[in-house]
Amino acid sequence: MLLKVQNLHKIYKSGTHALKGVSFEVEEGEFLVVIGLSGSGKSTLLRCINRLIEPTSGIIEFQGKDITHIKGEELRQSKMQIGMVFQQFNLIKRKSVLSNVINGKLGSLGTFESILEKYSDKVYEEAYKCLDTVGITDKAKIRADSLSGGQQQRVAIARSLMQNPKLLLADEPVASLDPATSNSVMQYFEKINKELGTTVICNLHFLSLVRRYASRVIALRAGEIIYEGAPRDIDENWFKTIYGEEAEEVEIR
Amino acid sequence: MIKEPAMEIHPQNIIEENKKREHKYNLYKAILLDIFFVFYSILVVQRAIYYKFFLDLRELPFSWGEIIILFIISIVIGTSWAISRTSLSCKLFGIAKENKTTKWTVEIFAWFLFDITFIAGWVVTKISIVGLFSTEGLQGAERLFSALFHPQFGIFDDALFAMIETIYIALIATLISIPPTLLISFFTARNLMKENKISFAVYYILRIILNFVRSIEPLIWAIIFSVWVGIGPFAGMIALLVHSIASNAKLYSESIESIEEGPVEAISATGANKVQIVWHAVVPQIVLPFLSFTIYRWDINVRMATIIGLVGGGGIGTMLMQYQGLARWREVGLIVLMIAFVVWVMDYISAKIREAIY
Ligand SMILES: Nc1ncnc2c1ncn2[C@@H]1O[C@H](COP(=O)(O)OP(=O)(O)OP(=O)(O)O)[C@@H](O)[C@H]1O
Ligand SMILES: [Mg+2]
Repeated sequence: MLLKVQNLHKIYKSGTHALKGVSFEVEEGEFLVVIGLSGSGKSTLLRCINRLIEPTSGIIEFQGKDITHIKGEELRQSKMQIGMVFQQFNLIKRKSVLSNVINGKLGSLGTFESILEKYSDKVYEEAYKCLDTVGITDKAKIRADSLSGGQQQRVAIARSLMQNPKLLLADEPVASLDPATSNSVMQYFEKINKELGTTVICNLHFLSLVRRYASRVIALRAGEIIYEGAPRDIDENWFKTIYGEEAEEVEIR
Repeated sequence: MIKEPAMEIHPQNIIEENKKREHKYNLYKAILLDIFFVFYSILVVQRAIYYKFFLDLRELPFSWGEIIILFIISIVIGTSWAISRTSLSCKLFGIAKENKTTKWTVEIFAWFLFDITFIAGWVVTKISIVGLFSTEGLQGAERLFSALFHPQFGIFDDALFAMIETIYIALIATLISIPPTLLISFFTARNLMKENKISFAVYYILRIILNFVRSIEPLIWAIIFSVWVGIGPFAGMIALLVHSIASNAKLYSESIESIEEGPVEAISATGANKVQIVWHAVVPQIVLPFLSFTIYRWDINVRMATIIGLVGGGGIGTMLMQYQGLARWREVGLIVLMIAFVVWVMDYISAKIREAIY
């Protein structure tokens, strides 16, 4: 068991009760996709898992260890093993692709060394390897913000690979990309999941993508899990329960 | 904060409780503000409008006893007004009753406050249209202006030297201000300091100190330092330095506060430590604004350096003061002309550099 979430609650300061007792487990090597309407709590769930925000109550176990309330050095160690990819890429715009990728390694580099930005050859080698995995070694020296959206997201993936993560979280990684690019970016997640054996938890909006890439699906509605199972079992009825009666499925290829 | 995992949490209760607490605090704040409003109105009406305007007294009668009685009256009126939930402050803090009485009292009282403040301002500044257009006054102005428009170029080399001194005072003050400002600005950026109580306390205290320092004009600082280190360029430089640090720390920390949160989150999600997060996610986003603010500060400092010279901060301002004291208006004319020219050039250069940076 890689990750175990038990009765997780999150109440924001504003009073929004975003997660209402969410429980699920993730085995090593899974490609788990979380779906649900906007505001159903998908992002909140991922952010709780790598502790970007503090859960209000419940337990999160990662590799058999309770990480719900760890702090300081311990928290940093656990963050290093969990990569995260965001919808908005969140690269440092003015820096080169290569330094953005190396940023993924900061946790295991010394403070002094990382401030001077004098890295060992091994670090560069690793960075190029990660860039190679997402197929953009040729862009290494270019400023990050001069790349297209799809390329930027690949750099972000390379950055998280630099962490050698046990678990990769992706919060709607293709929501701001066009359909064709979405598919190609999703293929990199698939590749990482299959070839490197990294467990992936990914928030997605399009069911066609879900069916194609997910090994298992969780559906959230108003902060609660209302469906858990194989992607192919999401039929017309489930679809309407998850997305509401009015919803109609759109295809993306 | 560590919560006991075993403890039961009832979300609804937490939300209710938060609401109640906020409501209570807002009422306290409203009471204080209403007391202030009432006290202010009574004082202004009594002193500025009644004594000064109607009775036209030169010396205002003053007694602590009277003030205290007025204050106690204000407390009673203000408190009961706030508790009745119909006052201006209740409206401001969003806890007022929604009815006609509130609407009327709030509207009338707000206008009343504005009007008495305006009248008091008029009385205090002794606005006199007559003085502005008297023959005597106009003649004096004419003499002055004709001298100013015929500048005396005999003192040009002296003035040039003083001008250069002024520019250097401004430059050195700006340069020296950079490192301390940088350091302070990180500690006064809310988004970096809000995490735990100790850092928030540091943030808060530093902010108060900066606000205090900034609220004192460089002119006053120059007077203080010319007593401290003696009249001259050094006093002027320190005065500018102090003010530059306080002002730029605010601008710097505001630009730190307005950075994109996304990259910061992304870097902290990799397990980077605090210093690394600041260096690799915050700093790259703020170099350009910092550079721009610093150049702008130099520009401002040149202007201020001329003013500071008036009270003995050295440079062209001191020279201006001397000739003005001797009523040699043609020399003053030359100096004013030079100041205007330099300020204009600095303004232009700094705007151009800042444009080029972005
Ligand atoms: N920082 C925050 N402060 C207060 N409320 C928040 C915050 N972030 C999210 N929420 C609220 O929590 C609920 C869940 O939001 P969340 O972002 O997790 O949804 P989501 O499923 O990711 O939606 P989307 O598909 O739009 O990204 C929403 O009602 C949202 O308004
Ligand atoms: Mg989201």
